[in-house]
Order: sequence, then structure tokens, then C-alpha cells
Amino acid sequence: MVRGPETFRGYPRPSGRPGIRNHLLVLNATGLTDAAARRIAGALPGTVFAGTMFGMGMVGRDAELHLAALSGLAVHPNCGAVLLIGADRTRLDQLIAVLDRDGRPYAALGLDEVGHDAHLLSQRGLALGAGLLRRLSAQQPQDCPLIDLLLAFECGLSDPSSGLAANPLLGRVADWLVDAGGSVMLGESIEWLGTEEELARRAATPELGRALKQAVRRRLDLAHAAGLDLLGTNPNAANIKAGLSTIEEKASGAVQKAGTRPIRSLLAYAETPATPGLHFMDAPSYSPESLTGFVAAGAQMILFTTGLGNSYCSALAPTLKLSANAATAGALGRQIDFDASGLLAGRTMDDMADRLIEEIAATAAGQLTYGEIMGEGGEAISRFGEAI
Amino acid sequence: MTPVAHTVGADDMVAYLLADVAAGAETSLQGAATGAVTAQDAISVFHKIALRPIRAGETVWRGGWPIGRATADIAAGAHVHTHNLVSAHATISKESK
Repeated sequence: MVRGPETFRGYPRPSGRPGIRNHLLVLNATGLTDAAARRIAGALPGTVFAGTMFGMGMVGRDAELHLAALSGLAVHPNCGAVLLIGADRTRLDQLIAVLDRDGRPYAALGLDEVGHDAHLLSQRGLALGAGLLRRLSAQQPQDCPLIDLLLAFECGLSDPSSGLAANPLLGRVADWLVDAGGSVMLGESIEWLGTEEELARRAATPELGRALKQAVRRRLDLAHAAGLDLLGTNPNAANIKAGLSTIEEKASGAVQKAGTRPIRSLLAYAETPATPGLHFMDAPSYSPESLTGFVAAGAQMILFTTGLGNSYCSALAPTLKLSANAATAGALGRQIDFDASGLLAGRTMDDMADRLIEEIAATAAGQLTYGEIMGEGGEAISRFGEAI
Repeated sequence: MTPVAHTVGADDMVAYLLADVAAGAETSLQGAATGAVTAQDAISVFHKIALRPIRAGETVWRGGWPIGRATADIAAGAHVHTHNLVSAHATISKESK
């Protein structure tokens, strides 16, 4: 039986979950202002950058999901204050409305408010950001109940050790957190392939079971409509060289991350779960856009298993890297945060899960991941259609 | 030291090598299944070894999950990978049948 703490350290927010970090977020709402927004974020220590390279001409579901993701990033738990940057007020007004409803400190600056002068935008943005950072620095974390914790699980550059050990370990953590009242989410829909019937049986309702199966089918149809044989794409060449032979071998290892508890909902990209428990997000599987879907949904931390050493991290959510491949954990000792290879050398799953939960608590309380130390990662919002 | 292969389920048809093995090497099993198997091929770390003869067309199971279909007869101790195992989902021609 896994035992963990009953609380975690978090910064309370006016709405939504508490954060395990207290960053100033510079959120860039339009591609035109990307460089200026990055310049501002880079000049202010304690700041994280996220945003989009797009902003005009998106339509329909693509536009809706893009705004939903930007809105989710704007009120991410790990950001105590937000500096919104954009080319024009219209785009900013949508995000300002989100932040007004939320109540956390923010400032907004449009390029059209400074005579379309990127120099002036940078200068004014720095001053606004400095003011927000000073306000942030007065905030203190406090003990928060586990019901407020949302962890997202990802695997990247998998090898068989992922499915044999690292992913089942996350499954154990998922069961612990769900039983303790918290929330867990997984994505990468194509990696449920071959396990749909079992996932549908675990779904809270028959409708949800059907939706899970349809989500997988839709991804497979997408590949086939493009004339794509999944072999070579998923598993990719590196997965295959490492020993994974088929998508269902990889997928049945990947879904081990989900543990054994009932599945509560199938989330759209960037959608926040409405209840505690275990949730699946229907989303692309490439790490940058997959992680941003979780982060925009409010995940405070990512647990990321790897076989061969995927270095990618979220910018906003500390991303704890785990590997059960002893060679990888050894060779990448300053990239892999948690060495789970003992699982294939006689350590019990319960023992390793206890250690990992201690690591999660320490990370929540401020211990930096290697990704945070190196400044690895970013946020990349998925696109779901063509723009005008 | 005897090389070790890891098993997930007691009835698994394949095991995962935890170190590179040479053809002819005796390999002991850990995990849900115990016993030993002699490698028929040189097999790299984390690649799969057949624990019993598998017929062409047979579904290969690991840990209660199907992981693909054998495309050739596979001897016990042989390397199981993309040369003799294919996804039941991944190829377009097969889906359209």
C-alpha cells in the first residue's frame, strides 16, 4: 500500500487550483509580438514565457480551441501574475475578460497602444512586468489539500522499459492520488490503440466508453486517410531500434500510466476536468503540443517517463523526468530527475512509488527539476485546421 | 553472469532481455514467469525473446495484451521484432480487408 502526504505546498489563487510555483507569466497572444514578448520575459528573472505564433484568420473549432488554450495558460495555477502582450486590443480583450473573472494581478499591453513601436513595447512591458513581479514576491505558499492537485502523465521516446516499469510506476501514483481525492490526466489518444475495450470497461459511463473508442478510431482513421502506416511513425524509428515492434505493444505499455481506477471523462484539448479522479484528454501525441494541452487544462506538474531520454519539458509546469532504463538514467544523470531502473533489478513497485511520491512532494514544495534548472521546454498550442 | 529476461504475465509468449545476449546463451526469466530459455539469435537489450514456438498468424500476447501478429513461424528462443511481428492495426491494406 502506497502512503503519501495529505497536503502539498501551493500558492492560493483567486480562482482555480493553487500553484506549486509563483511565476510571472508573459503571455504572448499574437505571433507578431512574439519576439518583443520573449525579450521582455528574458529580461525579467522569475518570469516564464508562453504564447502563440498565430492569432489571425483562425476559424471554427481551431479558433475556439486556440483561445481556450491561451485562456487556460493565462490562468495557469503556477502563475501568480500575468503580463499579456499582443498586437491589438481585440485579441487581448478576450484574455483580459478571462483574467478579470479570475482575479489575479495582470497587465496588458498592445502594440497598437504604443504606436506599433516594438522598442517602446519592450520598454513599457519591462516596467509593467517589474511591478507585477514585486507584487508576486510578497505571496507565500501554504498547505493545500490533495483535491487541488492535478498531475499530467506523458511518455516520450519510449523503449520497452517504459511499459515494463516506468509507466506502471506512474499507474501506482495515479491510483494513490485518485484515492486521495486528487486528479490525474493522460493524453496521446493514438497510444490507447489496442487497449480501447479495456479502457471502455473502466469508463464511468457507457457513453464515455464509446467516446474513448471513437477517439482512438478517429486518430487511426486520420493516419490511414493520409496514407500513413503507423510503423515508423508510431512506433518511430528510435522506438523500434530500442525494441518496440508495434503500436499496440507501445500503447499497452503507455496506458499503464493510467493505473486501475475508473475513467471519469474524455477531455477536449486544453479542457479542465470538472471533477477529481482520472481523466483522458483526446489530443495529439507529440510532446510539445501534448504537454501544453495538459498545462492549459491546469496541470501543475507533469510526470514524464522516457526510455531513451526525451529532454522536452513544459515551461509552466515542472516536468519530472523518469526512466527505468538504467543506461539512460546513468548517461543522462542531469536530465533524468528520477531513476526508476531499480524496478527491473528487484525493487518493489510500492517501495519505488513511495520514493516517487516523496519526490513529487519535494518538487511541489520548490525543489527544481533539471528541466527548470536548464530552462528546457516551452509551450506549443495545437492547431486543428487551416487559417484564412 | 546469466543474462536475465523480464516477464509481465505468467502466460506471456515473449520476455524482454535486460542485457544483450549472444546466440546460444542460456537466459533466466524474472518477473511473473520463471525458468530459462536458450537464445537462438543474438538479441539486444530490451528486445523480445520468444518463450515458446509461435506459429505464423498467431496473436502474440504480453501481460494480458495482444502486441501483434506473427508473420512467420518463430522458434522458442528466437528474436521477436518487426521482421516477424506486425501490428493488427497499423497497415492500411489489412484494415481495408
